[in-house]
Amino acid sequence: MAGIYKGKYASLGLFLALTALPIALGIGYALLRSMGLAGLGAEGFTLRHWEAVLSGGEFWRSLGLSFRVAGCSIGLAGVLALAAVLKAPERWQRGGLSWLMYLPLTLPAMVVAFVVFQMLSGAGLVSRLAYKLGLTSGIQDFPNWVNDSWGIGIIAAHVFMATPFFIILFAQLYQSERLGEYAQLAATLGATARQSARRVIVPVLLRQSFPTLVLYFIFVMGSYEIPLLLGSQSPQMVSVLTIRKLQRFDLADIPQAYAIGVLYMVFVAAAAVFLLRNNAEKTSSTC
Amino acid sequence: MFLQVSNLSKTFGKEQVLRNLSFALDAHRMMSVLGRSGSGKTTLLKIIAGLESPDNGRVELEGKAMNETPAHLRNIVYLYQEPLLFPHLNAFENIAFGLRLRKWTEADIRQKTETMLDHLELNGQAKKMPAQLSGGQRQRVAFGRALIVEPKVLLLDEPFGALDTETRTAMQQLLKRMVAGSQITTIFVTHDLKEALLMGDEIALMQDGLLKKYETKADFVQDARTGVQEEIGFWTNIQSR
Amino acid sequence: MLKTMLKYTFAGAVLFPFALLLVFSFGQNWRFPALFPALWTMDNWQLLLTSQSDLAQSLLRSLSISAGIATAATGLGFITAKHIAYHPWRQQWLTLAYLPYIFAPVILAATLQFFFLRLGLAGNVPGVLFAQLLIAYPFGVIFFTGFWNDRMRAMEQLSATLGGNKRQTFLRVLLPAAQGALLVCFFQAFLISWFEYGLTTLIGIGKVQTLTVKVFQYIGEANIFHAALASLLLALPPAGLLWVNKQVLFKTS
Repeated sequence: MAGIYKGKYASLGLFLALTALPIALGIGYALLRSMGLAGLGAEGFTLRHWEAVLSGGEFWRSLGLSFRVAGCSIGLAGVLALAAVLKAPERWQRGGLSWLMYLPLTLPAMVVAFVVFQMLSGAGLVSRLAYKLGLTSGIQDFPNWVNDSWGIGIIAAHVFMATPFFIILFAQLYQSERLGEYAQLAATLGATARQSARRVIVPVLLRQSFPTLVLYFIFVMGSYEIPLLLGSQSPQMVSVLTIRKLQRFDLADIPQAYAIGVLYMVFVAAAAVFLLRNNAEKTSSTC
Repeated sequence: MFLQVSNLSKTFGKEQVLRNLSFALDAHRMMSVLGRSGSGKTTLLKIIAGLESPDNGRVELEGKAMNETPAHLRNIVYLYQEPLLFPHLNAFENIAFGLRLRKWTEADIRQKTETMLDHLELNGQAKKMPAQLSGGQRQRVAFGRALIVEPKVLLLDEPFGALDTETRTAMQQLLKRMVAGSQITTIFVTHDLKEALLMGDEIALMQDGLLKKYETKADFVQDARTGVQEEIGFWTNIQSR
Repeated sequence: MLKTMLKYTFAGAVLFPFALLLVFSFGQNWRFPALFPALWTMDNWQLLLTSQSDLAQSLLRSLSISAGIATAATGLGFITAKHIAYHPWRQQWLTLAYLPYIFAPVILAATLQFFFLRLGLAGNVPGVLFAQLLIAYPFGVIFFTGFWNDRMRAMEQLSATLGGNKRQTFLRVLLPAAQGALLVCFFQAFLISWFEYGLTTLIGIGKVQTLTVKVFQYIGEANIFHAALASLLLALPPAGLLWVNKQVLFKTS
C-alpha cells in the first residue's frame, strides 16, 4: 500500500496511460480510417468521406437534433427542479422525500427508456387510458410520441432522469450557499418573495451549478441508450448515427462513421472549452 | 545554541518570503514572534518543522543539521491555526495518536493520556468526538496531542486566532503553565501585540521576510516598528482628553 | 396544501416506473387496450431460478464486473487523485479526466474497437473490464480531487510532525478520514459500470452479456415481461446500495 502511495510518477503515468493514451489512439485511428489510410478496404489518402459527411445533410441534422434534445431536456428539467426547490427548499434535504429523490438515480438510462416507451408509444399506457376515456378510437389515433422526429420520447426520458438530479443539486446548493439567509436579508431590504427568488436565489443557483449543467448538457447530447430505443430512423442523435454507420455492411459507411466521431469530439470539446473556460476550478470542487 | 537558524531564504514564484533570515534560541525558552499576515511566519515555521524546504540556509537542532531530516524524524511539532483534530478519533485517541505511532503499550498509553487529559482539564471529555467539543476544548486536545510526544521544539502558528477573548485568555494561561511544566522549547507566532508580550520569555518581530530578536522586552517596546509606542500613544491620548 | 400535492406528485412520478416494472415482471399477455396484463404468473421470476437460464448468469456476471470496476476505480482513483490534487497542473490533469465523458463513452469505444480487437480484448470479460475502467477510473480521480484539499494536506503534515511515517499516516489518518468518501465513490463507480451499455456492447461485441445487454436483447425480442424483470434486477442492487449509503450519511452527519 505504502509502495503505491509513494509512487507519484507511477500514479500519474497510469493516469496518462488510461486517459490521454486511449483518447489519442482513438482519435488517431479514427482520422486514419476516415481518410482511407487504415482498415479493411483502405483506398489510400482521400477526403471524400469527410466531404460526404460535411456536405450531406445527415450529420448536421443529427447534430442539430442532439443539440435541440439536450437543450429542451436541460431546460425543462431545470425549470421543474427550480420550481420544486423554490416552493419547498427544505423539503428535499431530509426525510422520506429526500430518499425518494435519489431513487430515480438507481435506474439505468435503458430502463428509463423502456418505461417511457411502455407509457408513450401507440400501444402504451397513456394511449390505453386515452382510449378508455374515449379520447382516441385506437392505436392509430394516438400521436407519435416515441420514435418521432422531434425526439419527444427522448426528451421525456431525459427529463425524468435529470429532474431529481437537479433537485438534489439545487437543494444542496441552497443549503451550502446559505440562500435561506440571503432570502431573509433580501426581505429586510424590502424584496418580495418573488423578487428575492428572481434576483437572488435563482441567479445564485444557476451560476453555481453552471458547470454541472453544461456537463449534463454534453452528457445528454452524447447519450446512446435512450435515443437508441426512443429515437426515429431519421434524424438520429449523433451517438446512434455513428454506431449505426459503424455496424453497416456497406464498407463506405464505416469511414464516415469515424469522420462523424471525430467531428463530434471536436465540436463538444470546443463547446466545453468555450463554456467552461472561466469555471474549470469550480467544476472540480463540486464533486 | 539549542535551535540555530541561519540565512534562510525562500521564494514562491516572484515573491521572496524569507530573506536571509537568522536567529537562535536557547533550550526551554518560549519565544514570541509578532508578525502580520504575509510576513512569512508560516513559511518559517514550516521550514523549521521540515514541511517546506528552504532555497538556502540551514536549520540546526542541538548542533546537528536538520535540512535532510524528514519531518517525522525531527521531533518538532507544528500546530496550525485550527486544532485539526482527526475527525475519526475521539479526544482520547487524538491525544494518544503520537504514542500509538511510537507503539507504546496499551497500559502506558492509557496512563499517560489520562494524566494529560487531567492537566488539560478535560476529564470526562475523553470519549467525545471532535464535533462534540467546544472550540477551546478542541484547541486543548490539539495541545495535548502535541505535548504528549515531548517534542524538542513546539511551533505554534496563531493558535488562538479563532477563539473568543475569554477562552483566549484562559488558553494563554494554560499553555504557559503546560509549556513551563514540560520545559519544551517553543516558538509562538501571533499578530496580537499583547499576546506576544504576554507569552514569550523572549520576543521577536517578523517583517518582510526578516526576523529581529530583541535583547529585552523593553527594547521591543521602544522600537517604533513593533507598534507598541503607537498603542501607548492611543491610550494616553484617550485618557488626556 | 400545494406543498403536500407537490410532494405526492413527485413521489408518484418517482415510484411509478418501479410499479410498472413490478407489474410487468409478474404479467403475461398485455393486449391493447387492457390497462393490466391479462395473466398474472411467477413464470418470469422462475426464469431466474432455472439452472440453464442465462439471466441468472448475466446477473452474476454484471455483479462481479461492477464490483471489480468499483474496487479498482475507487482504489486507483483515491491514490491518483492525491498526486493530481497537489500537482501544479491540477487543472490540466483534471481536464483529461473529464474527456471520456465529454467525448461520450460510446463514441470513444467506437474509435477504440480496432485496438481491442487487435489486443484480443474484444468479446471477452477482461476486455470489457478494461474498457469500463477507462471511464470509471477518471471518475474516481475526479471524485477524490475534492477530498485532497488543503485541510487534508495540513492533517497529513501534522501527523508527520507528530512522528508518523508515510505508511502510518496513510493507514491511521488518511484512510480512516476518507472512509465515507471511499464508500460513496465505490457506490457511484459501481453504478457507472452497472448501468453501462454502449461501450460494453461495442467492446464485448454482444458476447459479454451483462444485464444491460440482456435487457436490450429482451426489448429487441419484444419480450416486455422478461425485459421488465431484468430491469428490476438492474434497479435492485443500486437501491440496496442507496440504502446503505444513506445510513452512512446519517452516521457521519
